[in-house]
Amino acid sequence: MSLFGSLQVSASGMAAQRTRAELLVENMANSETTRTPEGGPYRRKDAVFSSDVEASPFSAVFQNELGAGVTVSEITQDTGEPDRRYMPGHPDADANGYVAFPKMNPAEDMVDLLNTTRSYEANIAAISSVKDMISRSIDIMRG
Amino acid sequence: MLDGITSNLERYMDLLSARQKTVASNIANADTPGYKTQDIDFQFEFMTLAKGEQPQVIQTPGLADKSDGNNVNLDQQARLLSEDQMRFNLASVLVKGQLKTVQEAIQGGNTA
Repeated sequence: MSLFGSLQVSASGMAAQRTRAELLVENMANSETTRTPEGGPYRRKDAVFSSDVEASPFSAVFQNELGAGVTVSEITQDTGEPDRRYMPGHPDADANGYVAFPKMNPAEDMVDLLNTTRSYEANIAAISSVKDMISRSIDIMRG
Repeated sequence: MLDGITSNLERYMDLLSARQKTVASNIANADTPGYKTQDIDFQFEFMTLAKGEQPQVIQTPGLADKSDGNNVNLDQQARLLSEDQMRFNLASVLVKGQLKTVQEAIQGGNTA
């Protein structure tokens, strides 16, 4: 019972890291996007992680569960000033000929993406280890 | 014989699975701001825990906080992960051996 719970916890970690990877890839794909449905240039997104033990305090206390999974509690958008480039011929240029581009730092996104991949792999390692423990328990029954 | 050793081994494996869950949760929360590394006091729980009871979660002391208040050390957690797995495997082999002994006794030594 406890072991299957561990699988769930690791799976929540994988899901959260996957969400973050999706956002990072979206950021990189939209590094030159000047039009969005909300208007203005694309704004960099990032995921905020939070531990989900407080999500249901009653049931947590009731079942006396240990170990908490992780959830993406919020997706933040960069609110900083966009990059302005002088491109008078651009259809999105303002009166002075400047175009607002998303403020991007590709190096930062790449490093974050690498970190995300490593964390994802760490969760996979946890799952394989627990899987091995479960199959060992089943082996006991085989005698 | 079966009662003493086997039930101790069972408790040991129970505790190892609980410990493994805290490790899984630490790894899942390795990037959560403000999260503190959790663990269970293995020896204390093994000595005092009544069967079927959940062990107490403690925070691992003496870990350095990162800039976001998180103090999960992935290398340390990876070590705990494989260590617990190996301990669990050992315990499962021992339980199997115990059960085999009982089986042999039942069959009067005729294991063929």
